[in-house]
Amino acid sequence: MNSTSKYSEQELIVLLKEQSNEGFNYLYDNYSGALFTIINQVVADKDIASDVLQEVFVNIWRKINLYDATKGRIFTWMLNIARNAAIDKVRSKGFIINLKNQPISDNVNAVITASVQPETCDVGLKKVLMKLKEEYRTLIDLSYFQGFTHEEISKMLGIPLGTVKTRIRTALSQLRILIQ
Amino acid sequence: MNSKEYISSGMIESYVLGLLSAEENLEMERACAEYPEIKAAREAFELLVEEQAMENAKPAPRELKQKIAAELFSDFESAPVIPVSSSPVRDRSPKTFRWLRYAAAASFILLVGSLWWNMNLKNENREIKAQLEDFNNRLAQAEQDARVIQGSNKIAILAGTAFSPQSSATVYWDTTSHDVYLLVNNLPIPASDEQYQLWALLDGKPIDMGVFEITQKPLQLYRMKNAQAAQAFAITLEKKGGSPTPTLEKIVVLGNL
Repeated sequence: MNSTSKYSEQELIVLLKEQSNEGFNYLYDNYSGALFTIINQVVADKDIASDVLQEVFVNIWRKINLYDATKGRIFTWMLNIARNAAIDKVRSKGFIINLKNQPISDNVNAVITASVQPETCDVGLKKVLMKLKEEYRTLIDLSYFQGFTHEEISKMLGIPLGTVKTRIRTALSQLRILIQ
Repeated sequence: MNSKEYISSGMIESYVLGLLSAEENLEMERACAEYPEIKAAREAFELLVEEQAMENAKPAPRELKQKIAAELFSDFESAPVIPVSSSPVRDRSPKTFRWLRYAAAASFILLVGSLWWNMNLKNENREIKAQLEDFNNRLAQAEQDARVIQGSNKIAILAGTAFSPQSSATVYWDTTSHDVYLLVNNLPIPASDEQYQLWALLDGKPIDMGVFEITQKPLQLYRMKNAQAAQAFAITLEKKGGSPTPTLEKIVVLGNL
């Protein structure tokens, strides 16, 4: 992936800060697919996911000066903007009202398994996620793809907060081994 | 917690994936600043996630790029399309002047574009003209050749001699205009210091009808000197430029009218 990149990480950041057309073209051509995919994993509806992606690009563009290279790679920063925007969208009032028009069960178990169904998890992190043990899979899905806080998960699943934290951490360190 | 335990704790992964609390984030940042090995582990996982995301990326809807670009670049004040230095003096200039600048830049680009296009069209035009002329010439030649063959009243078929058995040629003689045309059916390419020469034979005497070069044109029809009268025609192989009398042992083709 890095071998096909035209610009280095530093060059890309400079381009983005210059707010040039070239910077936008490069940003979009190289990263729109990856960001769209991650958004689409949280927001299944393609049209809504597109709206979120637009919002994400505007945010990246306008907030590039807030990016701090000491805290992580630019892609990590963009990925987190994308994931947060997607989760915000799913949890927004408008989205929930929309969903109410569709038959959906509001019981917790349905929510928990909703986004880990096999047909929606054929790509990326979700594919790797399927390889984790059930209890870990649920935790990662709830926290990463559905954006629930550790406290919320603790209440939903009736597991002590400390246990939720350690299990998520264990799950993630396993995830790393699975990706490699 | 030492850095080894830290690395295997899952904290790094949680940090990269944005799953830590604000407080834990600060702790991670401090740890990264303090321990290079923790920072290295963080960067390694970041790269892993990035590679994973890039490899599995599905393309975003096509029309979206235009839409986003329109939103980002519609507001010149905050996001100029053409990077211009934004000195305070310039920023205070009235909005119309900024617009004029963009309009001037745009029309310049248009002008250069249309000049370039124009030049391309002109070159193309010239090429087509040259081609057309070439075709016209070739067609005129072919028509003339056809008229010669059609209009000739007498034909002499010249057959190969023992000297050059495979050779053959045809002479078309117009009895009214006395024009003589030679069609080469098959003659080997002569050596570079030699040339073919056509002779008319009248009462046993050879009359020089001129030399000719074998060319690559599709129909090898050559106009030779006029002949008032002839009973037969022959082609000999002569030194370059021709001879006053034919070299009899080098007659390649021969035939009666």
